[in-house]
Amino acid sequence: MTWWCSARGTAWDWTWQAYPGVWLFIGLLAVGYLALAHRAAAAGDDPVDGRRRATFFGGLAILWLALDWPIGALGAGYLASVHMVQFLMIALLAPPLMLMGLPRGVYTRLGERRRAVAALRFVTHPLIALAVFGVVVYWTHLPGVVDVLMVTQAGSFALDLVWLLGGFVFWWPVVAPVPERPGFPAGLKMGYLFLATVINTLPYAFLTFGDLPFYGLYELAPPVSGITTRQDQQIAGLLMKMGGGVILWTAITILFFRWFQQEDAGSTEAGSTAGGAG
Amino acid sequence: MGRTSAPRFVVVGLLLLAGVGACRLEAPEREEAGRRAEETGFRGRVIENPGPRPDFVLNDARGGTFDLREETEDRLALLFFGYTHCPDVCPIHMSSIAEVKRDLGLEFGRSTSVIFVTVDPARDTPERLVSWLGGFDPEFVGLYGDPAKIDSIQLALGLPPAMVPEAGAAAYDVGHASAVVAFPPGDSIRVMFPHGTRQEDWRHDLATLAALGGSE
Repeated sequence: MTWWCSARGTAWDWTWQAYPGVWLFIGLLAVGYLALAHRAAAAGDDPVDGRRRATFFGGLAILWLALDWPIGALGAGYLASVHMVQFLMIALLAPPLMLMGLPRGVYTRLGERRRAVAALRFVTHPLIALAVFGVVVYWTHLPGVVDVLMVTQAGSFALDLVWLLGGFVFWWPVVAPVPERPGFPAGLKMGYLFLATVINTLPYAFLTFGDLPFYGLYELAPPVSGITTRQDQQIAGLLMKMGGGVILWTAITILFFRWFQQEDAGSTEAGSTAGGAG
Repeated sequence: MGRTSAPRFVVVGLLLLAGVGACRLEAPEREEAGRRAEETGFRGRVIENPGPRPDFVLNDARGGTFDLREETEDRLALLFFGYTHCPDVCPIHMSSIAEVKRDLGLEFGRSTSVIFVTVDPARDTPERLVSWLGGFDPEFVGLYGDPAKIDSIQLALGLPPAMVPEAGAAAYDVGHASAVVAFPPGDSIRVMFPHGTRQEDWRHDLATLAALGGSE
């Protein structure tokens, strides 16, 4: 039984494969979320609205798609470009949605735990979070790491987990309300996300402009499509830069408009108060 | 600020160190190829004093016959026994060699012959051979011939003969030798490139092999 997608070394065919480990992992996250939502309701917190629920499950669906057949299997052992799509989905797309979809009560209760807040304040400090993200991006794209880890199910699972956890740490200071960071306003958050677009430049450059295949795993994988190993690698590099850029710049744009709306609302309110007073 | 920022910088430093440390990780096959290169100068497996390259004539898929010794005299010849329905080893080898041949330029291309001998003549018609090889490099030569003769050529080279399943099945895999054999000009050595040879290794070895015993 194959539990998790890893490089198999056999020719690719489009026959569906079952990966029960992926289902179990996704199932546990879904059950955990429902339990949290139930607890929040039982504790008299604001009920989890449909939008929040949809946001979490949207993130979970993206995670599932990235881990399961065919994306998971193709990325684990055949195409570097699909491996990159997995990275974008697991580290950059799923985590912010899942964090934004958590019941409000979860953050409220977390905020009441002093030790948890202190730990989170440290780990998700923007400087630390950005360093964690940078190391995750570089480390998990090194040929030595990819070629060694992706050939076993445990190694492949570990890499996926590092991406997911790295994504949570990276997005936490941007989307999570706990701990409060008054010194990290929207403007700085936009700068933080911009720095992340810079971080992925080095792997992008290596992958896109390298004149030799970077990963033995994908170079020596049974061919899947008509593209060469080098073209596959170039697509992977471009996906890292452009795909990652689209995600991060979308987030920057959303932050900007929210910030603009808040400023606008604030000045309108101040204006009406001043008018009322006058 | 000062009290809390110090540990943060320590953590950032440790994370960066971990990243740098990971750069040193290398797959075991890479270490083996590196060791071979240190010992022999080649990343492929070198056979010393192998004698002259084999003397055989087979049918050329583009028409006519192909005499290995005559056609590849004073040239680097890369000889491989495979089949076009192969799902992995054959297309990977051909693709790698084609990419590196392009990298090494016209001069290298002019002094090198890549010869693919089919071990599955039932499915590998001359047209299919030409078309399949042309997908990698139109200069690659496709040969076919009597399976018994091809087996004996492989045995003489120290390669196991192919194991083709009994006739009848529409789709089947053929067990075959996975090494490409390189005969440099002058035949002073012979180098075997097993499945798993990276383009980096090909590039490292082929330029040197093409220059061996060249006309001074």
